Amino acid sequence: MTRPPHLKLVPTPEPAPFYAAAEKIYPREISGRFTRLRNLAVVVLLGLFYGVAWLDWDGHQALLFDLPARKFHIFSLTLWPQDFLYLTLLLIIAALSLFFFTALAGRLWCGYACPQTVWTELFVWIEQWTEGKRSRRMKLDRGPWTAEKVLRKTAKQILWVALAAWTGFTFVGYFTPIRSLGSGIAGLSLGPWSTFWIFLYGLATYGNAGFLREQVCKYMCPYARFQSAMFDRDTLIISYDEARGEPRGPRRRGTAARAAGLGDCIDCTLCVQVCPTGIDIRHGLQYDCIACGACIDACDDVMDKMGSPRGLIRYTTERALHAGVTQVVRPRMLVYAALLALVSGALVYALFTRTPLILDVIRDRNALYREVHGERIENAYSLKVINLDDKPHTYRLAVSGLPGLELTAPAEPIAVPSGSVSNIPARLEAPATAAGGVHRIVLTLTAVDAPRIAVEEKTRFIGPSS
Amino acid sequence: MSASPPKPPEPERRGWGVDVGLVLWPSFLAACAASLLFFAAVDPALLKDAGPRLFADLDREAGYVLGFIFFWVISAVASALSVYLVRTERGRRRSAGSGPP
Repeated sequence: MTRPPHLKLVPTPEPAPFYAAAEKIYPREISGRFTRLRNLAVVVLLGLFYGVAWLDWDGHQALLFDLPARKFHIFSLTLWPQDFLYLTLLLIIAALSLFFFTALAGRLWCGYACPQTVWTELFVWIEQWTEGKRSRRMKLDRGPWTAEKVLRKTAKQILWVALAAWTGFTFVGYFTPIRSLGSGIAGLSLGPWSTFWIFLYGLATYGNAGFLREQVCKYMCPYARFQSAMFDRDTLIISYDEARGEPRGPRRRGTAARAAGLGDCIDCTLCVQVCPTGIDIRHGLQYDCIACGACIDACDDVMDKMGSPRGLIRYTTERALHAGVTQVVRPRMLVYAALLALVSGALVYALFTRTPLILDVIRDRNALYREVHGERIENAYSLKVINLDDKPHTYRLAVSGLPGLELTAPAEPIAVPSGSVSNIPARLEAPATAAGGVHRIVLTLTAVDAPRIAVEEKTRFIGPSS
Repeated sequence: MSASPPKPPEPERRGWGVDVGLVLWPSFLAACAASLLFFAAVDPALLKDAGPRLFADLDREAGYVLGFIFFWVISAVASALSVYLVRTERGRRRSAGSGPP
């Protein structure tokens, strides 16, 4: 049995593009279904990014990865460094989702959701607004430095820098409270480190979205390189229908293409002009293609004008392109989906059964044991009680594991404010007759007002060796 | 054919820029991952206890930045070594005349 042929990626037909000085790409403005979809994604995603930072929840910032305080606030949930497991699971879920959606629908992420795409789009809008459409921008760049060129370029740079600075500020606002960050800027009293990060992220935004653009996808993005490993013949790709389009060539409107020996492609090159990465989709699937759909919109428009059916360039699969029927359910999809469900389930389970309390028990290092009142043995411990809940609690300590074992300190229940750590010395006593040797014992800490919040911690009780 | 066969195009002369990018960019990604893992487990404020002389005035935010730069430098050294080894190997093979790299 032969394996089905792998999806063929054609090399980008440029002479040694890897190190060649990149030519500036002037993406042509475009409208259509997929452009509207991407614009919607830009507005929604950037709206969320710039907006959510200012949202409050229960008296704190709704989404705040407070690095200075080492606490993560995610709406009503507060995560501590001890809750690293949840972050790990979340990252695994993100990776698996990327695999799943890549296998299903190709580079959806690249075309609509990647920050690189989204911010580039926004920067291109500014560019179009200040410098005009594609042909005008090209002319402006070629032309001499007239007053108008200086004015337009300055306006673009001012807007770009302002946007980049605001982006850097917002980004840092997710890691340190944004309102105090804002008043720090207003009062020129910002700490050096916050300033450093705002500048770094602002500079990255400016450079990536303003200048590097498609080169980030082509040369810097690891995902662009390994995404083909998740592709198969049933993955949604953007493809030019060669059988229908070739032989390409210009013709008068109303020409019967087939009779003239022509395919449907009129070779207008609009699909190349609109491409943000500057490729020709008609050469076949290339890894530079970020699947943004701009060429589909451009071609559909032309087909409408020519009176031909849409879809000469379209979302399709390799199998469908060769007269097969696309299989959405296939082993690869089932495996990714199963893994995704498993890890998501684990995360939900872990979150719902999470106990917002941590007890650390450390034995006193100075003495193994102490004899008290002649016939009793005492061991000393220091307890670290961490209340991870968002309200204060009082906890009662109990011991078990050795007959006659008693708690002599702390005598009172332990009160710990919300989100705090208390260090408490503890002493246990047992009758000397029972205490010889080493015993495994269990300390149990239970919240007085909420018995559900309880933790057990194992430790040792040591008596004189018999 | 009497004329010498067409040579494969010489890898074009390129400046330091590309190599600098090849070193700094992957190490930046690695430093991000390393900082995330390391600072999830270690509170930078505790570094003060580790080396009082070195980290005496270190507050938490400075600790994050220094840690990140530390990881970046270390991974950049690894990246730079990789790039150096690849580059020098190509040079050796070309001069030995064993065909295109």
